[in-house]
Amino acid sequence: MSVSDGAITAEPRTTKPLRLSGSQPFTQQSGVFIMIGERTNVAGSPKFAKLVKQGKYEEAVSVARQQVENGANVLDICMDEGMIDGVTAMTRYLLLLASEPEVAKVPFMVDSSKWEVIEAGLKCLQGKGIVNSISLKEGEDKFRKNAATVLKYGAAVVVMAFDEKGQAATYEDKIRVCERAYRILVDEVGFPPEDIIFDPNILTVATGMEEHNNYAVDFINATRWIKANLPHAKVSGGVSNISFSFRGNNKVREAMHSAFLYHAITAGMDMGIVNAGMLEVYEEIEPELKVLVEDVLLNRRPDATERLVEHGESLKGEGAVVSEKKAEEWRNGTVEERLSHALVKGIDAYIELDAEEARVKLGRPLLVIEGPLMAGMSVVGDLFGAGKMFLPQVVKSARVMKKAVAHLTPFMEAEKEAMAASGQAVKAQGKIVLATVKGDVHDIGKNIVGVVLACNNYEVIDMGVMVPCEKILERAKAEKADMIGLSGLITPSLDEMVHVAREMERQDFKLPLLIGGATTSRAHTAVKIAPHYSEPVVHVLDASRAVPVTTSLLSDEGKPAFVVKHRADYEALRKAHSAPRLTVVSLETARKRRTPIEWRAEDLPKPSFTGVRVLDNFPLATLRDFIDWTPFFHTWELKGVYPRILEDKRQGAQARQIFTEANGLLDVIIEKNLITARGVYGLFPASAVGDDVELYADDTRGRVLERFRFLRQQSNKEGNEPCRSLADFIAPRETGLLDHIGAFAVTSGIGLKELCDGFRAKNDDYNAIMAEAIADRLAEAFAECLHKRVRCEWGYGCAEGLSNADLIQEKYRGIRPAAGYPACPDHTEKGPLWRLLDVEANTGMLITESFAMWPGSSVSGLYFAHPQSRYFSLGKIDRDQVADYSERKKMSVKEIERWLGQNLNYDPAE
Amino acid sequence: MGGFAKNVAGIATLKANRKKKKMKRAHQHPLEKILENRIAIIDGAMGTTIRSYGMTESDIRGDRFKNSTKGLLNNGDLFSLTKPEMIGDIHRRFLEAGADIIETNTFGATSITQSEFFVDDPREHGGRKDPAFYQKIIDDPFLGSLASDINEQSARQCREWADRVGTATSRQRFVAGAIGPLTVSLSNSPDADDPGFRVVTFDQVKTAYIQQVRALIAGGVDLLLVETIFDSLNAKAALVAIREVFDEDGKKLPIMISAAVGRGGETMISAQTTEAFWNAVHHVKPLSVGLNCSLGPDLMYPFLEELSEKADVAISCYPNAGLPNPLSKTGFDLGPQDMARYLGDFARAGLINIAGGCCGNTPEHIAAIAQALEGQPPRKWGTRPAEESFSHEIESPA
Repeated sequence: MSVSDGAITAEPRTTKPLRLSGSQPFTQQSGVFIMIGERTNVAGSPKFAKLVKQGKYEEAVSVARQQVENGANVLDICMDEGMIDGVTAMTRYLLLLASEPEVAKVPFMVDSSKWEVIEAGLKCLQGKGIVNSISLKEGEDKFRKNAATVLKYGAAVVVMAFDEKGQAATYEDKIRVCERAYRILVDEVGFPPEDIIFDPNILTVATGMEEHNNYAVDFINATRWIKANLPHAKVSGGVSNISFSFRGNNKVREAMHSAFLYHAITAGMDMGIVNAGMLEVYEEIEPELKVLVEDVLLNRRPDATERLVEHGESLKGEGAVVSEKKAEEWRNGTVEERLSHALVKGIDAYIELDAEEARVKLGRPLLVIEGPLMAGMSVVGDLFGAGKMFLPQVVKSARVMKKAVAHLTPFMEAEKEAMAASGQAVKAQGKIVLATVKGDVHDIGKNIVGVVLACNNYEVIDMGVMVPCEKILERAKAEKADMIGLSGLITPSLDEMVHVAREMERQDFKLPLLIGGATTSRAHTAVKIAPHYSEPVVHVLDASRAVPVTTSLLSDEGKPAFVVKHRADYEALRKAHSAPRLTVVSLETARKRRTPIEWRAEDLPKPSFTGVRVLDNFPLATLRDFIDWTPFFHTWELKGVYPRILEDKRQGAQARQIFTEANGLLDVIIEKNLITARGVYGLFPASAVGDDVELYADDTRGRVLERFRFLRQQSNKEGNEPCRSLADFIAPRETGLLDHIGAFAVTSGIGLKELCDGFRAKNDDYNAIMAEAIADRLAEAFAECLHKRVRCEWGYGCAEGLSNADLIQEKYRGIRPAAGYPACPDHTEKGPLWRLLDVEANTGMLITESFAMWPGSSVSGLYFAHPQSRYFSLGKIDRDQVADYSERKKMSVKEIERWLGQNLNYDPAE
Repeated sequence: MGGFAKNVAGIATLKANRKKKKMKRAHQHPLEKILENRIAIIDGAMGTTIRSYGMTESDIRGDRFKNSTKGLLNNGDLFSLTKPEMIGDIHRRFLEAGADIIETNTFGATSITQSEFFVDDPREHGGRKDPAFYQKIIDDPFLGSLASDINEQSARQCREWADRVGTATSRQRFVAGAIGPLTVSLSNSPDADDPGFRVVTFDQVKTAYIQQVRALIAGGVDLLLVETIFDSLNAKAALVAIREVFDEDGKKLPIMISAAVGRGGETMISAQTTEAFWNAVHHVKPLSVGLNCSLGPDLMYPFLEELSEKADVAISCYPNAGLPNPLSKTGFDLGPQDMARYLGDFARAGLINIAGGCCGNTPEHIAAIAQALEGQPPRKWGTRPAEESFSHEIESPA
């Protein structure tokens, strides 16, 4: 019998994919085989079994991690072994995996023959996992009950082809048992059919027993039947069983696995338990071996087994063809980079090694902590703040940090001893008292802060929730704490924090006070809490920021500078909030003091065209020459001006490195056209009408195409200083002079998301961030490049002959202010620009409802050509102008106040 | 074996399934019917609104808790026992503002959350909270009956007001039993040395929720709302608890599910992203799934959009009134008109079926939202979009 006998040709039908989740979703893709990692199964991996038995759970977690890195889509976790307490081991292991963000993202398969172990496992899964397995072995009642339990926890289920009579070995038995199970699950239990995964038993072939010879064919045919007749059901199996008779001969086994999977997948097998790092490609099996293996699997000739055994003998000893992959290019970086990478990615495998290397390099253990490790934690903080890392990852980073610190601690102790011996003062490890204030019961966030701080070698005394002020202060005194941290989630806690600050002042405390929790804010801390206490009162935004703040406050060297900056920042916040308002002139007066420009026809060149022009696929190589690199370095927290920064003593080496890497990536981007630059711009006849600028369809100026509304400076104007508005730079209608205005929108972000997603899929966040930073530069370069062209087309800039450095310093005539920037802070003015240039249709760029541009790496703005046009900052405006602007824009005052919050010289709530 | 016969059987099954679906439609919940025709309104913040009544510690204590050692003023659920007339007034105001659904005042009405207000925190004395500590909480008769009382009383009060205003306005109103996220997390370890440690077990959390669910049902709620989910495993324990109560007591109510997500669309503590979360709760066949609380409407938008695209049930959305702003009067950034504008935008984008507000949303906010959504068509939902299913071509081997 061959595999094609009994094949059922079914019409293609629509099948619901299997959907699972860990912390990330997993959706089965058409034609893609789901790999279930098998190394976290004590039955399949002696190494893993040993780790669990010895209680070495930390190393056992790294096995899971490797599986995920090697591409396992789902992890099979099994603790069925006589010497292991299954419930305890399953629970402990899954809870540990839940704290391992890189692993927790994938769905888990809870695998046990003991029901209590399965249920214990289900109680640890926040996502949708898979239960492996249930069957009709113990009858229908038990089957129904277990299936209902699986459904209650929301998992998919593996159903073994097993019934009261035993394991289904033949094709007929397999399909009979599977169909019966399917009908019970779907019709009686209400189990979603797409969540049913049949395991029709992959049994060992080539055992020498004739009745075993058709096992592979039976499985393949059963698979085909299930897929054709049991709608939406899936098929899985433990692949390594098939080759069990060749154990010890990896070469043959791998060939058998690949060939078997090839045929089973063709028949519709959806997933299998495999060693994700060790699968040979079907096409790459040696032709001779392939024939022999397929003869066995497909039962093509009676002597197939003997022939394969014979051939296999000659291959024995040849190890695995495919070795486990290692994705560890990051190990080639500098020690600082490696430490940072390890923290960001939560990898602790090399952290001690790297910490030691850094210690030797930097000379003192503390310099490692306050230098590269703290820098790494800062990156973690930035990524968290940007929504690119989540809390569990922050905690994991802290745990990696803990290992590094633990390695450095003995060296610090030795240093301290040496200092004490030579009579110098020795500072003890920092001690922090944490508490959620009286009246508030929320502390999950505070607990996370506690963990992060403890990982950084601080002694954390967590007093829990609802802690009255006096108890906090007593404890801080008794413990000689270095700092107090208060947390609260509800509004009334804010008053309690003020109370604690007052008490600390009254009792003459000298400790810094940290403030954190969901309703707290930097401004509130500065305005309402800090004024009551003479020592620093610092708002900590989130757990990821706790360590840098604490470290600065407890460091002898770092503290003074930190405190000075902190006080200045908070003073500025207080000023912004409550200082007497700036003196403003009335809108009427301000309008009388517009920018004094003497309007002359010769200052208003006529553009060579009016209307809209589209630039598609603008050459990136051209844009490259217009890049202003300085802000690029700022992205990487390197402060300085390009090109000088490359030679900077402190930052030069790092600056050169990222500069080289950026250009390398840019080469590739340009060469392969990985992103597309697109833009649209236009020049239009225009006149100023009051503080509006009208744009006309043509030179007759009969039809108004669009209108931009500008705001005028009103505050901080001494004497007769002009109160500027962008409208001042366009000739007023009453002058009768013909003036023009330009508008543009450019992007270099098309394709960027795909590029970055590609990097992230390979866990290469570094290049993803790099690509974004480069695209941002290209967008700015595009704006610069286009501006140059426009000045020429406008008839005044062709002969300017400026270098790129001159361009960066804006040595040319005219400006290109953007909505949302100081001269025109109202983002909603992008609306008319989008209409005017039909930006969306012409470039695909969108504005979101918050008037941000999409994709990122986009720039838009207006062109003003008058020689006296200049940039300025609007500053604060008063109610009279907001009311006037609201009239002009036909928007409610409230809405305008929301968009211009930063620019209001009054509190809208008052 | 003939493939043809089998295919016929398959088609017959599909037909039978379809028939079943149609039958289910006929027994639709009245709220489900409303959701197909318009956007339903859910009420606003209890905590923020309570604070505007200027209640004092002695008000919340009343007689029943006069000897309590800890401050209770922020344990707002207790007001349902000690100041029912004030809580009733809030329910009435939300109903009159146009809420179709009001929530019971039971966000923290579990033995576990109540224990924070009534039991000494062992950490004050150098101890720690762990499963042994919480087992005592679960077994504590005082906390158990307190939790049951709050849930049952609050449900009754809501029932009364919902029916009263419903009758007066000839519009049926619904009571959702609010099931909050607890003060503990099943996904996070507060122990720096042991990432596998948890302060509480799944079974303990489930037991606390079972008690709450049972009392809410006894008090007469129409719906169960598992909300402000920052830890999906806590939520799963609540959903398992609900299922077990349904199975044991033989009564079933529609379930609403709502998560609180951060800037990346992740449940704030357990960090499960939106689609992953939906996959994890899909089996419950909830009446609705949605987002509430957290970062306010604008930052929630992309994740609401994602959820709306993936989920084949109604979508609810009741965000905070923007980000917390301790310097503003309500403690939050956005006023009634702002919220109305955002939720109006969500409705125009076809994303929502149920809308309202969480922290910082007063009856005035809800009235503005209800007004803005008047006449807006609800989001349409059916099965998952077709292009997401895939066809499996069966090739016959040569």
